[in-house]
Amino acid sequence: MLDLVIRNGIVVDGTGKPGFRADVMVRDGRIVGVGIGHDAEAKTVVDAKGKTVAPGFIDPHTHFDVQLLWDGAARPALEHGVTSIVPGNCSLSLAPLKAPDRPAVVGMFQQIEEMPPEAFTIAFDWTWENFEGYCAAIKKKLELNVAPLVGHSVIRLWVMGADSQKRAATADEIRAMQRLLRESLEAGAVGMSTSFVDMDAKGHPVPSRFAQFAELDALSAVLGEYGRMLQVVPEFYDTDITIARVDQLSRLSLAHGIPTTFSPLFDSTLTPNNVDRVMGRVEEQFARGARVWPQMQTRPIDVSFSLKRPSLFLARLPSWLRVMKKPFEERVAALKDPEVVAKLIADTGPDGGALYFGRLVIRGGDAAPASLVGRTIASLAAEKNETAAKTLIDISLAHGLDVAFLAASAGHEKTDRVGRMLAHPLMHVGASDGGAHLHSFATYGDTGYLFSEFVRKSHHFSLERAVQKITSETADIWGLPNRGRIARGAAADVVVFDAGTIARGEEKPVFDMPGGGMRYARSAIGVDTVVVNGAVAYAEGAYTGAKHGTICT
Amino acid sequence: MSEAAPDAVIVGAEIAAGHDGAAELLVRLKYENGTVGTVTLNADVGFALIRACGADKIEELAGHSWRKILEGLEHA
Repeated sequence: MLDLVIRNGIVVDGTGKPGFRADVMVRDGRIVGVGIGHDAEAKTVVDAKGKTVAPGFIDPHTHFDVQLLWDGAARPALEHGVTSIVPGNCSLSLAPLKAPDRPAVVGMFQQIEEMPPEAFTIAFDWTWENFEGYCAAIKKKLELNVAPLVGHSVIRLWVMGADSQKRAATADEIRAMQRLLRESLEAGAVGMSTSFVDMDAKGHPVPSRFAQFAELDALSAVLGEYGRMLQVVPEFYDTDITIARVDQLSRLSLAHGIPTTFSPLFDSTLTPNNVDRVMGRVEEQFARGARVWPQMQTRPIDVSFSLKRPSLFLARLPSWLRVMKKPFEERVAALKDPEVVAKLIADTGPDGGALYFGRLVIRGGDAAPASLVGRTIASLAAEKNETAAKTLIDISLAHGLDVAFLAASAGHEKTDRVGRMLAHPLMHVGASDGGAHLHSFATYGDTGYLFSEFVRKSHHFSLERAVQKITSETADIWGLPNRGRIARGAAADVVVFDAGTIARGEEKPVFDMPGGGMRYARSAIGVDTVVVNGAVAYAEGAYTGAKHGTICT
Repeated sequence: MSEAAPDAVIVGAEIAAGHDGAAELLVRLKYENGTVGTVTLNADVGFALIRACGADKIEELAGHSWRKILEGLEHA
């Protein structure tokens, strides 16, 4: 008897070939058959009539390291059809980590993930120091698969202590780092991450940024022993430096036979040649035999701001800029001064700020009352028969300036441009940052957005090609055997979805972090069933609690 | 406005959408060899640059030396 059969669906198997009508049969966590005409009994039957049956999606850039300690489904990633995630990016992982160094790394995670302090104090017990211990700590709860990276910064911190954020490493220290990396790879790490950009909670560069090239080269040599990935955050805000990093990664890739990947890389109308220039160099390096995969997110960049903290969003408007430069109390006083307010309104133009502020959405999760969450400034202004600028000021003043306004799709938003970039054969679709930036924006549902925006709306991808990008291609880039395909013998990671409706839901504030902490999240649309290693982990809008996830290497 | 002729000079600034969901200041610099490049500043450094230049609007950053960015970094 089979454990599971998914009947009547259209199988899009992850290889890019056209979808075909077939049943998918599963036993002992593996796909044991794909075809029609089989009538073997199964303990569980999923009727996928009218639906697409695809390999589970793989998210190659996340920061779920902490969340996995209390939430083995990395909610809401799983409900979006994501069955495998890669945490430990950007030089940061939770192991190897000596007990006395925990506060320093917690600060780095809080800086990057914006996770509340309670997440580190009430949600789990620190039972590990080495990488094997961390994997053991998360493994028993896993509802999806985890392919973890080990962070260069924590390796450096383990070996060098406080000096890891002060100086270059000695030859002995580099050898100690190599041993620690080797040990971590043996324990399940799928590669190492490093960063040339990130800061800790005190605004100091993270340890990896103090490494000289010889150190990165020596660590890459260890990655080469295992054929494992080097993930990098380059100076993405500067095209020329990013290109220099592409060259550097290519050198490491060729010297040690390793795959490398870097992110973020996104489109901006202010630097319109950025992506094309970087991709030009990537193409050259691939032609030489290097593997240097750029990662690009599908979703546009949303910008948010409040009047509580100075934001450059308002810096185009001179009167607003003057007010935003003032200390908080003086800023509040200015916003209550009718003369100042008159100037602020005048500054926004004859429409009273309708163009500038009208489309802004009140986000929630702060002092804004629930009745205002999701409303646009334009709609509230119309209701009050007031200008948009005055409406924004009044709402802010009424709630201590602690009201966040969202400017959706403020960057990386030109579908015609971004679609072309995502469809490039060498572009690795990823960079979701899942589990990070909790207070800034939702990092979930990028896969749904790929289908809704770039398959159904802009047609940059066929359904089959989009599935391939986030399944078999990802598995192959990362060297994850038996993942990312619907095929006999493959791991039974499967998502059943409606190709006509799959999408990301609206962004909403939710309070599900330890201690009631807030984050922005998006639920899934159009995802019916998610299977992880042969067990139904999500169905009919609910998590089943099946803990069949694993550390997949 | 320019303080040191051979230095790189700010020739423009625009507000950009940052990777972290915050507005950033994209500053265009013209180097002494004529090349124009960009540098991206977060809110703290951006405001500090605006203060250092005594600017009331970002258009007034044009003409200042790139060294004002260093001042901004020191005071952010």
